[in-house]
Amino acid sequence: MAESTKDKIKYRILKALDVSGFTAFDPVIRLFFGEEPQKQFAAIVKYLVIPAIFVLSCVWFWSWIGPRHKTKSGEVPTPDVVWESVQINDTIADREKVKQSDFQLKGAEREAALEAVAKEYAVLTEEVEAAKALVAEREAEKKAREEKLIAPLEEKYDALKSEYRDAAKARDAEIARISEAVSSGDEPASALIAAIREDGIASDKERDVLNGYKAQIDEIRSQKYKPLDLARKRYDSVADKQFFMKTRLEFLDDRNLYVKLDEAQAELNEYMAELSSAGSAKDALKIAKRAVRAEESVARLEGQEYASAVTIYHQTKRSIFTVFVGFFMAAFVAIPVGIMCGLNKIFMACMTPIISVFKPVSPVVWLLIFQIVVGAFFPDPENHVLLNFLNNLPLISSLEINPALIFSACTVAMCAVWPALVNTALGVASIDQDHVNVARVLRLGFWSRLFKIVIPSALPLVFAGLRISLGVGWMVLIAAEALSSSDGLGKFVWDEYQNGSSLTFANIIMVCFVVGIIGFFLDRMMIILQRFVSFDGRGTSV
Amino acid sequence: MTDLKKWITTASAALALSSLNGEMLDLEKDELKFGFIKLTDCAPIVIAKEKGFFEDEGLQVEVIAQPNWKQLLDNVINGELDGAHMLSGQPIAATIGFGTEAHIVTAYTLDLNGNGITVSNAIWEGMQENDPALDTDTPAHPITADSLKPIVEEKLEEGEKLQMGMVFPVSTHNYEIRYWLAAAGIHPGFYTSEDKKGFTNAQVELSVTPPPQMPATLESGNISGYCVGEPWNQQAVAKGIGVPVTTNYDIWKNNPEKVFGVNAKWAKENPNTHIAVVKALIRAGKWLDETDSDGVLINREEAVRILSQPNYVGADFDVIKNSMTGYFYFQKTDKREMPDFNVFFKYHSTYPWYSDGVWFLTQMRRWGQITEPKPAEWYDKVAKEVYLPEVYLEAAKHLLEEGHISEEDIPWDTDGYKPATDEFIDGILFDPKDPIGYLNSHTIGNKD
Repeated sequence: MAESTKDKIKYRILKALDVSGFTAFDPVIRLFFGEEPQKQFAAIVKYLVIPAIFVLSCVWFWSWIGPRHKTKSGEVPTPDVVWESVQINDTIADREKVKQSDFQLKGAEREAALEAVAKEYAVLTEEVEAAKALVAEREAEKKAREEKLIAPLEEKYDALKSEYRDAAKARDAEIARISEAVSSGDEPASALIAAIREDGIASDKERDVLNGYKAQIDEIRSQKYKPLDLARKRYDSVADKQFFMKTRLEFLDDRNLYVKLDEAQAELNEYMAELSSAGSAKDALKIAKRAVRAEESVARLEGQEYASAVTIYHQTKRSIFTVFVGFFMAAFVAIPVGIMCGLNKIFMACMTPIISVFKPVSPVVWLLIFQIVVGAFFPDPENHVLLNFLNNLPLISSLEINPALIFSACTVAMCAVWPALVNTALGVASIDQDHVNVARVLRLGFWSRLFKIVIPSALPLVFAGLRISLGVGWMVLIAAEALSSSDGLGKFVWDEYQNGSSLTFANIIMVCFVVGIIGFFLDRMMIILQRFVSFDGRGTSV
Repeated sequence: MTDLKKWITTASAALALSSLNGEMLDLEKDELKFGFIKLTDCAPIVIAKEKGFFEDEGLQVEVIAQPNWKQLLDNVINGELDGAHMLSGQPIAATIGFGTEAHIVTAYTLDLNGNGITVSNAIWEGMQENDPALDTDTPAHPITADSLKPIVEEKLEEGEKLQMGMVFPVSTHNYEIRYWLAAAGIHPGFYTSEDKKGFTNAQVELSVTPPPQMPATLESGNISGYCVGEPWNQQAVAKGIGVPVTTNYDIWKNNPEKVFGVNAKWAKENPNTHIAVVKALIRAGKWLDETDSDGVLINREEAVRILSQPNYVGADFDVIKNSMTGYFYFQKTDKREMPDFNVFFKYHSTYPWYSDGVWFLTQMRRWGQITEPKPAEWYDKVAKEVYLPEVYLEAAKHLLEEGHISEEDIPWDTDGYKPATDEFIDGILFDPKDPIGYLNSHTIGNKD
């Protein structure tokens, strides 16, 4: 009995792995349940250990080739630099949260935090000074080293330069002499031509030599001095932290919501007190007006929220939301139209030209078209009914839906609609003739034929189409967000490109992985859905 | 338009009466979104947010990076943004209908100077050959385009035109690089009613490239030089792909660069909010230009720390630091002090001068973006439609009462016109009250 429950669990897990396409982990589960250990070990080595080694060696190759490949846009970041950038982005998001909570901290808690941060700030200030001194020291070292290397080169460069200048003068004099001789007929004209040509060749050669020295000097100047880089990095990171602490102090003090509220409240109370002892009607009116204004500012402060900077987590959430909006829009159009195409040859013939012309159009073009077309629906986005409704829904409100999100979603939909449409049409058109005959024999009406025969048998292909659509949509979305400056991973990566800092390259590669991993999960999700409706027992492909 | 003016003046007059005790303004809107382009001269907006100057006015402001100047302008027009960091030419061009048409106004000038012209290494070597005086580590400035002229002519003989880049058709950069080229007798091309690229009769073709793409475009050889704001000139030096030959400080000393632009409709609907925003910006400008007794800019390092955050300019601290703390590298070996590279408050720079508008209009006419000749009064009229000194002065009055600025910080009694100046690279006199005379004193360009 116990044996069979254990088996049941085992088969359930295996089934889950199969449906989700993680069959490579089968032997691990089987081994865990003690099934044929030797065979499982062999399978684990073949399908898990070897691939893992392969991936690791790819990572190793990347970290080896990175620093060796020189680019002018900055160093190719190694895996550890990319990982560092992940942590930096996490720190940025964290700091935003801290600032937000500082902004909203109240009473004794606020005072305690203020004291703690002030202490930390004092310590950091000392550290910053030390780090700064170290940078200066390293800079001096670097300069001294460079001077030592450059001085002899410069000396040689100067010597050569004056030597060449003399040589050029001599050649000029020689040319002048020959030209005199030519004009008086003592020498043939070809001699002058030859002399001028030689002079050209010689000065080119001399310039090359001089440029060679210059390049060497530049090379030395541009060489990195590791201790200096390390000192700078250290300085940057403590100074950054110190700056953050300074901002925290502000947010815990004057800029704290409750400090501001208290002040406003105190002001209001003061006016109220004054009002009760006002001397004249005119004074009373004046004070009352001020009191009303103070009351309004209290009310405004109470509703005030912290204006947070956009973090990568927020951007990721928004991208995923946008891709689903676009994907559902695409599915909503593609499935009915696809079914109609499959059922009716004339309809299919009507749609074919439209599909063939619009399918290859680039997302960039669609984006521009939607920007113009959709823009017209939102003349005043701040007060638009639909947007206000969406932005008041729980969960969705934090995503701040704006027209830019709608353009991006429409662009995704436009590009994602085609694979789903074509696959649906194909699925419907290629229904087993037996099924069609059965429906005819049973004299099923249009709707029951649609829902009982057509859709169920077309479903696997419909889902195959939707799976491609979601993949295309996700790919297109990043470009659409970048160009429409709609918050999301696309905007993040585009802003990074525009930042041009030393972190830029690492952040771009980080986004490459984030987008890839999310895309992988989206695809797996669609595979699972597809497997649930598909009757064949085929395994999932990559 | 006079309608709007009247409205604002009455609104501010009413306010002046009710708020002499430095009370908070009665805001129409307290959650705002401002756009900016990743350039160091967006600093006043970022600083006003990060130092809490907006909060002091009761405003919660979000500051959002925009992908390019066109999108930024569109977002201000369609209401997605309440206001933005703009090229000085943008509100003017939008108002007169060159490019996207919409009435945009400004009550605050963000900064002076801040751009440079960079050429590729090959062009620089050619210039050095043409003018041996340039062949040192520290050549004398200003460097004119005279030594570039033979290169342009040589190219033309080969049937090619030298390609250079700028950032937007109505950008300061476009007018500056044209000015620099034309001063040396090189024709940068006209805009006409059919030719919106400005290539007609050009000896050098100037194309649009977004700022961050400039170094890469130069490196790939599509262009041989460009005019752009910071940090993209210093980036070329750092990467060793080009040499900045001049800054716009030499082309026109203390020229207006960026403004804070808002939709006229927005300004009309939110007069008090507008004043509150300008108040915060004036404080930010003043904070940025604060110096100690030795004249050292004391707050700039902190400003650089803020600007280098990835959600703002995001470039490396060290790269932004150069120009923001008063230095500029012309070559790796040629680091020079340029204390006025970015001016955010000094010289009454933040006041919305009508004369700035007139200069931009003369350039638009000079290069054919304005296709018809216009009378001098028209220049004055357009400038007065775009610039709103009333809002600025109202904000300044509040700040003076609150003790944030002093009397001499603000030009209280100006008619909005700076005195005539000849501090240009070609030494031609610009009298803002005589735009036609100024246009006619140039050899290259439209004359009226």
